[in-house]
Amino acid sequence: MTGQRVSNAKSKVVPSKQILPSEEIEMEPETMETKSVTDYFSKLQMGSLGYACPNKQK
Amino acid sequence: MEASCLELALEGERLCKAGDCQAGVSFFEAAVQVGTEDLKTLSAIYSQLGNAYFYLHEYSKALEYHHHDLTLARTIGDQLGEAKASGNLGNTLKVLGRFDEAIVCCQRHLDISTEHCDKVIGEARALYNLGNVHHAKGKNLACAGTQDPGDFPEEVISALQKAAEYYEENLVIVKELRDRAAQGRAYGNLGNTHYLLGNFRKAVRSHQERLQIAREFGDKSAERRAYSNLGNASVFLGEFAVAADHYKRTLYLARQLRDRAVEAQACYSLGNTYTLLQDYEKAIEYHLKHLLIAQELTDRIGEGRACWSLGNAYTALGNHEQAVHFAEKHLEISKEVGDRSGELTARMNLSDLQMVLGLSYSTNSSILSVSQELDYNSQGARPRLGRRQSMEKMELMRLTPEKFQNWN
Repeated sequence: MTGQRVSNAKSKVVPSKQILPSEEIEMEPETMETKSVTDYFSKLQMGSLGYACPNKQK
Repeated sequence: MEASCLELALEGERLCKAGDCQAGVSFFEAAVQVGTEDLKTLSAIYSQLGNAYFYLHEYSKALEYHHHDLTLARTIGDQLGEAKASGNLGNTLKVLGRFDEAIVCCQRHLDISTEHCDKVIGEARALYNLGNVHHAKGKNLACAGTQDPGDFPEEVISALQKAAEYYEENLVIVKELRDRAAQGRAYGNLGNTHYLLGNFRKAVRSHQERLQIAREFGDKSAERRAYSNLGNASVFLGEFAVAADHYKRTLYLARQLRDRAVEAQACYSLGNTYTLLQDYEKAIEYHLKHLLIAQELTDRIGEGRACWSLGNAYTALGNHEQAVHFAEKHLEISKEVGDRSGELTARMNLSDLQMVLGLSYSTNSSILSVSQELDYNSQGARPRLGRRQSMEKMELMRLTPEKFQNWN
């Protein structure tokens, strides 16, 4: 069956604008960077060490 | 005054973390109104307002606040804050289709992260974002052009290849970090990039990795996405029975997740796959399920597609009366939604069907198959009855002959 389709594919190129292959793929979510007022609040409590590297997120 | 701003912002954070971004926004806006002299606190409020608006799909507002955050972070010389604001601004610009500006912002996120203590995590995340921007840019160029799918111009291929490179770079880092969640995201989008590039075997390998990670986390949504993407790639490998199995898993999970829109999409994919398997009874069964959900969701475009597909399947079975019924319905919906291409297709289908119905009384033979053979033998002409029996993916296969040689 696949072989037949390959043969069809080679001989009959039919243009179509109806569907693009990208329409159906499903993407993974974006990752946004986060800040928190407590990061800075903690820093005020902890002194200069607190904001060396803000919270890690996945 | 200071405490009040902080209190409002903390409540905004709590609400956003609980998933109520709309209410969270109100508290953050109130906190901005009250104001604070602590510019890092203000920066955090702007950033969270930007993210909340992003999740609410209010992208121009998200852009505004991430821009405020970037300006503020630069003013106070907070480089890590600047990196984060740049990354968020980049993601927002990407969604707004401003890809070149998005690349500049995401590159800034990457550069600062590389220079600072946030190197590993920040760098990995910036690489993922850059991959996403290049992927979106490539996809957008492919959709905006007049060329056929699978015959993308150089700029599309170049953008997609860059996306793949960024995802690969990201994967090297997140593997070192043993960050499986990040690996899952990268594999998913890398798989989709390979799919668009026509590297379907590689796409399958990436999506299988993504599937494995989704299972480790018990992440049903990610598992469903992986099955759906595996189904799509399998179709283009000509492995239709495998694709049907993947789409059945997608359907099962969509039902578990009680997501009717996704369930409809799975039924539609299954209908199309059974058409490719030439099992038209099953194709009709799934297209009817798709039609019912589309009607339930008042999705007129989906309904139109279902009618078109059902018309094709009934034609293939020789049930021309039902084919006419659905072709008429397809015409009605195409006119209603202003789909000129759909309207033209429906009119041609109806015209062909009327001819077949007329002729079949006099010939009493399978006029459909005879006509189809004639059409398929005419070089350069669009198959007449064949166009009805074809479905989207079959059309695509004819469009991408050169791909067949490279798929395996």
